[in-house]
Amino acid sequence: MSPQLEPRRIADDVFEFTVESSRAAQALAAELRSLNAAEEVVAGLKTVSVRFDPIDLAKMEQALATIDHAIVTPSNKIETVDLAIQYGGKFGPDLRMICEATNLSEVAFIELHTQCLHTVEMIGFTPGFAYISGLPESFAIPRLNTPRSRVAAGSVGVSSDFTGIYALAGPGGWPLIGRVQNQLFDPESDTPFLLSPGQRVRFKAV
Amino acid sequence: MLRIVKPGLQTTLQGASRKGYRHLGIPFSGPADALSMALANRLVDNAIDATCLEITYGGFEAEFERDCTIAVTGAGEQVLISADAAPLHQTVQIKAGDRVKIERPHSGTRSYLAIRSGFQARVQFGSTSTYMPAHLGGIEGRALQLDDVLRAISDPEFELEKQTPESLRPFFDGRFALRATRSAETELLSGAACNSLFNSTFTVGRQATRMGIALEGHDLAPESDGMMESAPVFPGTIQCPPSGQPIVLLCDAQTTGGYPRIAHIARCDRHLLGQARPGDQIRLLHRTPVQAVEDYERKRALLDHWLLADPEN
Repeated sequence: MSPQLEPRRIADDVFEFTVESSRAAQALAAELRSLNAAEEVVAGLKTVSVRFDPIDLAKMEQALATIDHAIVTPSNKIETVDLAIQYGGKFGPDLRMICEATNLSEVAFIELHTQCLHTVEMIGFTPGFAYISGLPESFAIPRLNTPRSRVAAGSVGVSSDFTGIYALAGPGGWPLIGRVQNQLFDPESDTPFLLSPGQRVRFKAV
Repeated sequence: MLRIVKPGLQTTLQGASRKGYRHLGIPFSGPADALSMALANRLVDNAIDATCLEITYGGFEAEFERDCTIAVTGAGEQVLISADAAPLHQTVQIKAGDRVKIERPHSGTRSYLAIRSGFQARVQFGSTSTYMPAHLGGIEGRALQLDDVLRAISDPEFELEKQTPESLRPFFDGRFALRATRSAETELLSGAACNSLFNSTFTVGRQATRMGIALEGHDLAPESDGMMESAPVFPGTIQCPPSGQPIVLLCDAQTTGGYPRIAHIARCDRHLLGQARPGDQIRLLHRTPVQAVEDYERKRALLDHWLLADPEN
């Protein structure tokens, strides 16, 4: 099936497509990147943004027109990554708040989080930051009203029904439940990011 | 070549933007004020994105160990060279043993020091630019420290005397009028809030870094429960968290975000964001994307005439 792909102009130099799922977003982004017409192609959870040099606007519009009937084929290679996580305490200062919001005890929340089948949907925000699905869809954890100016590398947060992992120290708006011990970003490595879209993730409490 | 005597608040090596890695979560980095850096490089006949020093709020001093040619642009009133002073926006001939000092600017935030041939720096993900959160580029991906030694790529001397044409010198007085378009979630603002976004003067808050600038003075509270699905953002994106205080993103900003994207600074004016400091005033001028592209084409034509001209002229 070919979805009708009509991009919106969200800046003088950015077009954005809206799609059904993060898998569709990743596949469309790969397709758009292969056109080599844009400065950047970035996938969100259900959006794909294309930034271009406005001097090349006509060329960009032509290139985007060719994508209309692209067949979106998400890859089916699945890999599983185990992450060692310390829940609560100083590593997860918002765990209690999340437990109150979800009506779970801390033990029940940790059990749920370690038993869910998680999938990396998107990498972004900062280097290696992973958006991971798998929590019950009924979860509706809001972001912090005012982002923290600094969270530690490896911090794990929950927002809406997603788990997010900060690969680097930096500002962050997600309520935090714990911290993983794995190194998530290694700029010297040929594969600098431990996590990538499509991977399965298992959390192991330590 | 040159030794850092006073690094100042935050001095980093910046070169080309880190392009083509945003889908991996790696920001552009690069100069916060790309135009000022291009103008500095032009004076010493470098590529416009050759690696320069980006000096934040002055307080910088370095000792040069050999003769070379430099140029300083951006914020600041003058460059002190041992006992002398030279204006910004012109080539300056430095003798071995000279100390170059850049004082705290009266307005504006960042000064750019270019050296003929460019500074050596570590290339990571296609760029020398320092991105401190991930320790990429520059020297160990960090801000410069006392006694760091920097080297030029090749012969650092340039015999021609150059000046930026007066008409092309950006001028910073703490008041910015920035052209901006609506963006993906502008409709989440009430009519009154949208009016306020484009028709009032904001004050730059205490948070004004290479990642972003907080805008204060008008509460825009968008109709969002803070749970928007994360979507791509770029330098120039204006996000509005539930607190109602917008944040303008800069060169080191994250690549995706979950707060409504209520406006986008037009490409032609983004370089000015790198010069806004806490307490400065920012006003957004509404443009349609078509108008913003016309503005960009006009500004580029004007600048390219100088930036890309034959340096012998």
